Amino acid sequence: MKFQRDVYIAGVGETKFGKHDVEYDVLGRAAALQALRQSNIHRPDIVQSAYVGNGTNGIVTGQTVLKDLGMCGHMPIINVESACSAGGMAVYMAIRDVSTGFTDVSIGIGCENHTLHMQSGTAFAPAMSDIETMHGAVMTGKYAMRAKRYMYETGATIEDLAMITVKNRRHATNNPFAWFKGEISVDKVVNSRVVASPLTLQQCCGIADGAGAVVVCSAEMVKKLGIDKPIRVAGAVVQSGPFHNRPRDITGDDITESSAEQLYAESGIGPEDVNIVELHDAFTIAELLYYECLGLCPKGEGLKFLRDGNATHGGKCVVSPRGGMLSYGHPIGASGAAQIAANVKQMRNQCPGYQVEPAPRVAMSHVTGGGLSGTEHAACTMHMLVSDW
Amino acid sequence: MADKETAKADITFFSPELVGDPESSSPYLKGYRCKNCGQLDFPKLSPCPNCWGEEFEVVKLSTHGKLYSFSDIYIGQAGMATPYIFGYIDLPENLRIFAQLEGEPGSFQCDEDVVLTIGEVRKNKDGLPINSYKFKKPTDKNHKFKVWHSVSE
Repeated sequence: MKFQRDVYIAGVGETKFGKHDVEYDVLGRAAALQALRQSNIHRPDIVQSAYVGNGTNGIVTGQTVLKDLGMCGHMPIINVESACSAGGMAVYMAIRDVSTGFTDVSIGIGCENHTLHMQSGTAFAPAMSDIETMHGAVMTGKYAMRAKRYMYETGATIEDLAMITVKNRRHATNNPFAWFKGEISVDKVVNSRVVASPLTLQQCCGIADGAGAVVVCSAEMVKKLGIDKPIRVAGAVVQSGPFHNRPRDITGDDITESSAEQLYAESGIGPEDVNIVELHDAFTIAELLYYECLGLCPKGEGLKFLRDGNATHGGKCVVSPRGGMLSYGHPIGASGAAQIAANVKQMRNQCPGYQVEPAPRVAMSHVTGGGLSGTEHAACTMHMLVSDW
Repeated sequence: MADKETAKADITFFSPELVGDPESSSPYLKGYRCKNCGQLDFPKLSPCPNCWGEEFEVVKLSTHGKLYSFSDIYIGQAGMATPYIFGYIDLPENLRIFAQLEGEPGSFQCDEDVVLTIGEVRKNKDGLPINSYKFKKPTDKNHKFKVWHSVSE
């Protein structure tokens, strides 16, 4: 989007991800209150608009989250749904409100509980009105086809893909908000049960519950609220997935490539300047492909980028420093907002035990959403954050 | 009772707009060519997403294609028996079809030739099979459309 004025992140919140026996609104409220308190907001009538991302939990989810905080009745609350991109998109909309001058303070929240709503032992599928869904499509299988083709074309092995899980779980070792974390061997990843060949269980993100929240405001409000480490939003992009029922290269990802290109152009920041990235590593293959799609390395060199240690601490760009979706699990409406929360904490040097050193100055996030026939993804949301202090 | 049987039979085939002559020995996928701009699509999209034209000519699509990629699915949709296999099949008409594959898990390869067949893709609410287009290896001798294959090959 074209910013009409500067927008800053004042505060963020996230819950621990994993299985929760409380509903999405409880999780959303916890993350929101954390983000509001961190923004030095201690009253319910300061925020001027709210966007709440949720994929599957029902209707009027945003009002359900915010009414018990006394935040209903004086501002618009708009509910945002775009499958896995919902949380990121909610933050994007909050940023847009401040950018246009519609508000001075807004909040974007992402929250989801799958445990209480989804049959176990089944995989996510797009809506049943979709022709591919009628024929059995599941998201795991669509990514598995990308993996199969990538391995066929490049000679990459399943052990190569497994290294992504190993790396991200290692990143998450001391992260109290992550679900699956710590050392895991390539053998254990490869020999876990097959979900959709060639992807095994440990190469797929867990179906988790959780929430993230981001409070954004104008430069003037940064001063009024007394925020000492404001994070500037240097760019924010939402794209819809182009439709094409023709042969295409699924080892690339058109929507990620065009979103990244737009984000780099609008923010004036290139991939070589990005210190950390949280991307849509719902499956190992996705992270590998996105190194290339995001321009972190040249096309065809994703595996080399990983093997050379460029995607971890000490490398060119630490990818998934919080542990990514492969460690957090993926509550679909929550992940996009939680990625941004995690990036802000890294930039503020608030990640003991999993802090990237030196504290990153430029952080990027990327979250796609939805499997719609004829598109790689229905949506893609990206954010570029900068610390200027 | 007879009416009920008929109603059930109606929903055991996914959609007649997709497949021509589904009960015959030579079924085919129906492509739709826009009479205004000439764009060929499968499945039918009306209006045409390229020019919003609303008149189409039905084109018999090739029954042979190349398997671009595929996956053996062990955790599937709720209510679907596993394992099942699906893939992307590229037709010579520059169309990519998402379809289930008939055959054994572990037996397919990228870029191999596959042919159209008709078979069960899932069950309906009454537990009856819903049939639709699928693809399989051209040499599968056990298939009931053996005659059609020997003719078309």
